[in-house]
Amino acid sequence: MEVLRETQKKYCSKALVISIFFCVICLAAGYKSIGKGFVLGSIFSIINFIIMGETLPYRIGRSKKKTIFVSLCSIGTRYLLMAVPIIMSIRMEQFNFFSVISGLFIVQVVLMFSYLLPKQESNCGNQS
Amino acid sequence: MSYEIQTWVRVAAYLGGGLAMGFGAIGAAIGEGHTAAQANIAVSRSPKNSGDIFKSMLVGQAVAESASIFALVIAMLLLFTNFANPTYITVAVMISAGLCMGLGAIGSGVGSGYPAGAACIGMSRQPGVANKLTTNMLIGSAVCQTPAIFALVTSFILLFTNFSDRPVNPTWAAILGAGLASGLGAIGSGIGGGLVAETSCEGIARQPLCSQSVTNIMLLGQAVTQTTAIYGLLVSFILMFKFMPASDTISSAMALLAAGICMGVGAIGPGIGEGVTARSAVSAISRNKDATASITRVMLVGQAVAESTGIYALVIALVLIFVV
Repeated sequence: MEVLRETQKKYCSKALVISIFFCVICLAAGYKSIGKGFVLGSIFSIINFIIMGETLPYRIGRSKKKTIFVSLCSIGTRYLLMAVPIIMSIRMEQFNFFSVISGLFIVQVVLMFSYLLPKQESNCGNQS
Repeated sequence: MSYEIQTWVRVAAYLGGGLAMGFGAIGAAIGEGHTAAQANIAVSRSPKNSGDIFKSMLVGQAVAESASIFALVIAMLLLFTNFANPTYITVAVMISAGLCMGLGAIGSGVGSGYPAGAACIGMSRQPGVANKLTTNMLIGSAVCQTPAIFALVTSFILLFTNFSDRPVNPTWAAILGAGLASGLGAIGSGIGGGLVAETSCEGIARQPLCSQSVTNIMLLGQAVTQTTAIYGLLVSFILMFKFMPASDTISSAMALLAAGICMGVGAIGPGIGEGVTARSAVSAISRNKDATASITRVMLVGQAVAESTGIYALVIALVLIFVV
C-alpha cells in the first residue's frame, strides 16, 4: 500500500499548499472569511481523501460482512466529517459558505490539474 | 389541524434535505461500486500492477464522489439555514431544490464510475499507458460531472432567489417544475457521458497510439450528450424567471409542473441514447483510426436523430409554459 500512501501524500500536500496560498492572498486582500472558509473546506477535503485511501486495504481480501461494515463506516464517517465545515459556514459568519464548498473540492481539482497540466503527449501515430 | 408557515417550511426543509442526500447518494455509490468491482477484476488479472490499479481506483472514486458532495452541500443548506420571511413558495423552493440536486447527482455519479472502472481494467492490460489512461479517465469523469453542476446551480438559484413578490399559485408549480426539469434532465446526460468515457479508456488500453483521436471523439460525443441536460436547464430557467400571473385555477399550475416533468423525463432517453452512439463510435475509432472521419460523421448523424425526442420534449414543455 506504499503506492497509495505516496499518492495521498503527493496530492494532499499540493492541496494544502494551494489552499494556504489562496488563504494568504485573501487575507492580504481583506477577504478574511473567504480565505478562512477555503482553508476549512480544504482541510476536510484532505481528511476525506485520506480516510478514503486508508480504509481501502481493509475493504479488500476480507470477508463480505467485514467489507460491507468497513465500507459503510468509511462512507458514514466521511460524509459526517464533510458536513461539519458546511454546518460551520452556515452557522458562523467568519467562514464564507461558497469558499468552504470550493475548498471541499480541492483534492478533486488538484487531481485533475496534476494530470492535465504538465504534459501534452500521446498524439495519434506517434510512439509514446 | 392547522400549522404555522414556519412549521411547513421546516417540514419542507427536512423533506428537501432528505431527498437531496438520499437520491444524491444513489449514483455515486453505484459508480464507486462499479469502479471497485472492475478494480477487483483488474487485480486478479494482473496482481503485480495492484499498486497502480488501487491508485487509479482511489482517484476515480474521489471524482465519482463529487456529485454526492454537491448533494450533501444542498442537504446541509436546507437543514441548517433559517430563511427570513418564509411564504408557501419557500416550501416549494425547498422541496424543489432538494429534488433537483438529488436527482441531478444520480447520472453523474453512475457515469463517473464507468471510466474509472475501465481505466483499472486498462491498466491491467497495458500498464505502460497508466498515465494516459488516468488522464483520459479524469477528463471523461470531469465532463460527466457537468449535469450535476447544472443541478447544483439550479438548486442555488432556487434557494437564493427572492420569489416572495410572486403569486403563490401558479409559482409553486413553476418552482417544482424547474427543479424536476433540471434534476431529471441531468440523469441521462451523466450516464451517457460515462458510457462514452468508459469506451474511450478501453480504446486507449487497446490501441495506445490512438489516444489523442479517441480522447477528442470522446469529448465531442460527450458534448453532444450534454445537450439534453442543457434543455432541462433552459426550461428550468424559464420556469424560475418568467413571471407567472396569479391564477385561481389549478390548470395553469399543472401546465407548468407538467412542463418541468416533460422536459426532465424527456431528456433521460436521448442522453443515454447519444452516449450509446458515441460509445460505439469511440470503440470503432480505437479499432480503425483511418476511418475516424466517416465514423465521426455517422456518430453525429446518429446522435442528432437520437436527440430529436429530446427536442420534442423541449417543444412540448415550451408549449405548456407559453401557450397552454
